[in-house]
Amino acid sequence: MQSESARVTTAQESRFRVQYPNSRQRAVKVIALDPPSAEMIDELAKKEWKGATFFRALSFASDAEPGKTDAGLSAWLNDLAGRALDLVSEVASSDFIVVVSAAGEDARSVSVIADACTAHHKTLLAIVVPGEGASDADVSASMGHLRPYARMLVIAHDADYITAMLTALRA
Amino acid sequence: MLRKEQNDYLTQTDPGTPMGDLFRCYWMPALLSEELPEADCPPVRLKLMGERLVAFRDSEGKLGLIDEFCAHRGVSLWFGRNEECGLRCPYHGWKFDVNGQCMDVPSEPAESGYAKKVKLKSYPLIEKGGVLWTYMGPPEKQPPEPEYEFCTVPLNQTFMSKRLQETNWLQAMEGGIDSSHVSFLHRGDLSTDPLFKGAAGNKYNMQDLSPVFEVIESEGGLLIGARRNAEDDQYYWRITPWVMPCYTGVPPRGDHPMHGHFWVPIDDHSCWAWSYDYHPTRALTDHEVDSMKAGKGIHVRYVPGTYRPLANKDNDYLMDREAQKAGRTFSGVEGIGMQDASLQESMGPICDRSKENLVSTDNGIIMARHRLMRSAKALVEKGVIPPGVDPEHHKVRQAALLLKRDVQYKDGAKEALKAKQGVRQTSV
Ligand code: FES
Ligand SMILES: [Fe+2]
Repeated sequence: MQSESARVTTAQESRFRVQYPNSRQRAVKVIALDPPSAEMIDELAKKEWKGATFFRALSFASDAEPGKTDAGLSAWLNDLAGRALDLVSEVASSDFIVVVSAAGEDARSVSVIADACTAHHKTLLAIVVPGEGASDADVSASMGHLRPYARMLVIAHDADYITAMLTALRA
Repeated sequence: MLRKEQNDYLTQTDPGTPMGDLFRCYWMPALLSEELPEADCPPVRLKLMGERLVAFRDSEGKLGLIDEFCAHRGVSLWFGRNEECGLRCPYHGWKFDVNGQCMDVPSEPAESGYAKKVKLKSYPLIEKGGVLWTYMGPPEKQPPEPEYEFCTVPLNQTFMSKRLQETNWLQAMEGGIDSSHVSFLHRGDLSTDPLFKGAAGNKYNMQDLSPVFEVIESEGGLLIGARRNAEDDQYYWRITPWVMPCYTGVPPRGDHPMHGHFWVPIDDHSCWAWSYDYHPTRALTDHEVDSMKAGKGIHVRYVPGTYRPLANKDNDYLMDREAQKAGRTFSGVEGIGMQDASLQESMGPICDRSKENLVSTDNGIIMARHRLMRSAKALVEKGVIPPGVDPEHHKVRQAALLLKRDVQYKDGAKEALKAKQGVRQTSV
């Protein structure tokens, strides 16, 4: 007699896999840590997303001090329209956080975001995009800044990768 | 998640498909040397990327890989007589050489030259490291021979096996990239398997079940680093290389031989899982070779006379619920290779990726798919030679090492990740 495994692993049987949405929409917040990343994210945001929203860390745009958590947390992000938003509540209402850093740029603001992630038990995923002129040392420096905070760190030479990744993650 | 059309794009490798074109840029393992052991031995039929072929070693020892079917009336040349420098069809006696050139049509006068006008499709077949490799792409684009370290060390330092896997190649290969499953699925084997146990690094695997990952593009594919906490302000890194399109290396353990895989499409519903084990600087011991032949490590035991695993879907993979309950195996299936294969076959012949829910630790898989799609597109639209064709890209090693926490593995492990003749692997 044919075994159960043999019977159920055929192409025909694949037809009987129960069809329904097996997960709910996840909220992914994508935060640019520096001006070149912000430019990239502006482009990304023009595409159609289900659960992804895009922000800039304010540290590079304003007087907020990178790495300083005591002040200004209530207005530590900008949405793309330039409205100041409260970092902690954005993180709290997310499922996970993606930070994007251009190699060689100052990535230190990640620590504030990571603190909020830790407080709310959210995963932080970091992407470094080396860009045209970035040296190996630039990439190493960026990785060094991001490593302590990220569960997953990706070096993606091609900006398309962020789109591919967000799509793959159903964002 | 992949949309259906993306999934089709990546999983279909028949001639004329984009991924089929991509695979046809590379030398691929076709057969083990042992399958054609001597001149005039029996021919072997095989299917690769949706093409049915027959391989033989002629009277002079030359290797041939040609269309399986006789040009006369389509008989399988597996029935052929391998004699006098050619394979003769047993039906009406037509004969073909290793290049598929028809040498003899007995019913026609030899002077007529009719035989010269008949030729079967053929592909080059070369022998390297106990493996017969073929290149199935356009002849003018044939790349230099493969330089993977396992096939360049002396034969007594290397061991290769293959097993039939009854799934599409991609879900098999994704298992090779996804090292986050090791602490679960294979946890029982780390302390018992003769080809794994005893390595100092194993304790870090067991202590820390949620490694942190770093994915870096390499010239030929990817490096996927998994790091776990270790003493003295260090991390324990396990670094998995992927070379396009379907080579994956498993980070080593102690002084055990290093192993890894090729995942070669047979057709869209099955693939060959090739499993190598080699040591860069010493001969494999008898005990190691015996263990490999006995199906330990990443190898399997076979249904006698075949390369089909003994534990297979027809016997429910010899599922052992007692062993699962007692924790000797995590899934109830014995052996690392079959633990992977059984689960991947349970996904169905082609995994429906429109329903999966990937998480951030799946970025290695996401990046590999992205590079494959991007490379196939560049090849088809602009003729760009994809990563992994250049033999320099093959000279990469897997590594397991301790590094200070502030050191990047791409820097700290730079030398460890290079294949170097006569230099031992970097492993703890
Ligand atoms: S937990 Fe990964 S497939 Fe089920
Ligand atoms: Fe595995």
